[in-house]
Amino acid sequence: MNLFVLLAIAAAMVLVQFVVTRWVKLNLLAWMGIWWVALWAAFSYGINPPLPNSIIVLFMAIITIALVAYLSADNEELKQAQESIVRFMVTRQYRVALLIVMFLIPAAVAAWTFASMNEAPQPPSSGRTIHPPPPSSITFQGTSINLTTANNPIRELQHTDEAAFAEHVANGRRIYFENCFYCHGDNMEGAGMFAHGYDPLPANFNDATTIAMLQESYLFWRIAKGAPGLPSESTPWSSAMPAWEDFLTEEEIWEVIIFLYEFTGFEPRAQGMPH
Amino acid sequence: MRILLTLLLVYIAYPAVAQQENDLGTEAQRAEGKEVYDIKCAHCHGYEGDASAVATPYLRPTPRDFTSGNYKFRSTASGELPTTEDIKRSIRLGMPYTSMPAWEGILSETEITDLAYYLKTFEPAFDGPYGNPTVVEIPRAPSYSADPDHLARGQEIFAANQCADCHGENGRGNGESAPELMDDWGDPIRAADMTKRWTFRAGATREDIYRTFMTGLNGTPMPSYEQTIDAEDRWALVDYVWSLSRDTPDYGTTVTVQGRSGELVLSEGLFEAAPQVYFPIVGQITEPGRAFYPGVNGISVKAVYNNSEIAIQLQWHDMTAETDGMNNPLIEMPMFDPAQPDTTMDGWSDAVAILLPSRTPEGLERPYFMFGDSRFPMSIWYTDLATDSAAVLIGQGSGRIADNGIALERSASYEDGVWTVQFKGPRNQGELTMPEATFVPISFTIWDGFNGERGNKRGLSAWYHLYLEPMETQSAVLPMAKWFLIVLGAELLIVGLVNLRARRRKTA
Repeated sequence: MNLFVLLAIAAAMVLVQFVVTRWVKLNLLAWMGIWWVALWAAFSYGINPPLPNSIIVLFMAIITIALVAYLSADNEELKQAQESIVRFMVTRQYRVALLIVMFLIPAAVAAWTFASMNEAPQPPSSGRTIHPPPPSSITFQGTSINLTTANNPIRELQHTDEAAFAEHVANGRRIYFENCFYCHGDNMEGAGMFAHGYDPLPANFNDATTIAMLQESYLFWRIAKGAPGLPSESTPWSSAMPAWEDFLTEEEIWEVIIFLYEFTGFEPRAQGMPH
Repeated sequence: MRILLTLLLVYIAYPAVAQQENDLGTEAQRAEGKEVYDIKCAHCHGYEGDASAVATPYLRPTPRDFTSGNYKFRSTASGELPTTEDIKRSIRLGMPYTSMPAWEGILSETEITDLAYYLKTFEPAFDGPYGNPTVVEIPRAPSYSADPDHLARGQEIFAANQCADCHGENGRGNGESAPELMDDWGDPIRAADMTKRWTFRAGATREDIYRTFMTGLNGTPMPSYEQTIDAEDRWALVDYVWSLSRDTPDYGTTVTVQGRSGELVLSEGLFEAAPQVYFPIVGQITEPGRAFYPGVNGISVKAVYNNSEIAIQLQWHDMTAETDGMNNPLIEMPMFDPAQPDTTMDGWSDAVAILLPSRTPEGLERPYFMFGDSRFPMSIWYTDLATDSAAVLIGQGSGRIADNGIALERSASYEDGVWTVQFKGPRNQGELTMPEATFVPISFTIWDGFNGERGNKRGLSAWYHLYLEPMETQSAVLPMAKWFLIVLGAELLIVGLVNLRARRRKTA
């Protein structure tokens, strides 16, 4: 959201409603035009990250249909609008304005044609699935692990043996800062020193849509199998995430998972909760 | 009146008071600082502040050893301790292009202050007579002047003070003594590449540049030039250094390949009019051979094509050209192990590769960006810069790379810190075709021989694109005229009909 732009648009609308109308009487068509422009500005400039052009075109088409539907819902209003258009076309005093409008509309279409022909070509966008559904089980260093039932064995120590738990967290911290932070960053925001060179960008663990909504067994799968273990809708060929089963033990992976949650303050989603 | 007088007295007395007492914070602030430090900082800077921790051996430049009292970034005279505000600034803004992030927005201002006070406890001198350093005054910067005489004066100062010895004739970090530079702890350290201002550790504004050469960077070979550069020449030097770099790296995502009608003869002139794109290069840290401090951090690319061939020019900054020895992407590398540092650093030449898919991809699929895989092999345009040949290799993963027998034309030169390597090959290579108006995935790998890079110890890029701009672009004039007339015609028809009807009604 770009609050500043949205507020400016709202302020302009209020200005039109309460100030401009004192001097100029706006008919229904003018109002609809103002609404159309205001909504277009809000979609184009008020949202961050910006919406793709195709989405804006789609939204504006829906809005145009809605405005026409609104207009035609009341026969009286429709007739009024129709009459004002006809009056604009036939009245002598509007002749100059009519000629200007008649020139401007095809000129705008021509300009749009020019712009669309000179648009920089866009590379195919990746449309990547960020959290693909996990397999039901994986083979980890020769043994099979059932991902639907696997629990982090260290998790239970949190309440039964705090000292042992703390030791595992410390170990997880060591593993993270020996292996992960070059990409995922000091503060786990996915902005490590190499992050700018990779595409897709490393995951941001502070974001509520990553580890906070995933089960620990899901993290185990992602860490153990890395990019090569992703399904094709998640572009395994471009992610730099290593398959950590080649370098870490099962316990070390569970430890680093515990550390991710301890550091960010998130709780993993409990086992058995629906997606 | 009395109030004014009191204020005046306080104002006069204040510097004297400040000079007597060192700014060490309260016991509580330091304790709070320790809490933050142990969670956020200790894994790189060490629990004792001595830069001995799990992550330290993986990092270069090495994280600061706070027990030394040597701080790179200061507003104080060379060799002196930093002020509290200096330490806070380093925490706030971090050190660009190192592992030290900017903590602003992550830690609160209070936490940053507490941290600064805690860091001071690692060096007893902060509590002594040197704990109150003299601040070097930075005058307000006059606005930037690109006046040739002014910049020429700056260049003279640059030459007179031997800046080029480390930073190179044109500031590319390739001075004669650059390869031997060490910091105070005996670790190798690089002279700044002044053409990449965004990597300046102590900041990239003109005031930052001024401060850096006035205060020097403690613990590094960068001294202070306060005594040697006259006040009236200082901004000339700043502006000269400023003029060497663009503002931002401006990383691109697509190389636009321009069409040429004639033969493509590899030469400087061939690429002159082609647009240049700059891509980031980072260490390969996915597979064994992990390169945590690659020697190269970016690559500039240009490309042109004709009916049958494509020529691609790669340029990157390298401190030294390693043209002796050998290199090969197949050299096997062990996992990075701090306990067994890579000691076979000599004898490796510089090398570079353009990585392409082995067949024209359909949809989004492409080879694994490391060195391809068996599902989708990679076409590797490789050249070892100790040789004068280049070839296409087929990669099916690290360690599974074979020569497929296609030779490529190649030219390479190294001048004043810049490698320029040009490749030329056929546009159709078996299953890989490069038709006009299509996007072809491309990525890059650089081996910096000086840095011991070989095999999978290398700098690499993500997948980007080549786009072959159509040789003949359709002119927009006709379609524009067509649409203008169609819409105008429709308008005339509507207005005409409406008027006709209105007139009829009137007469009726």
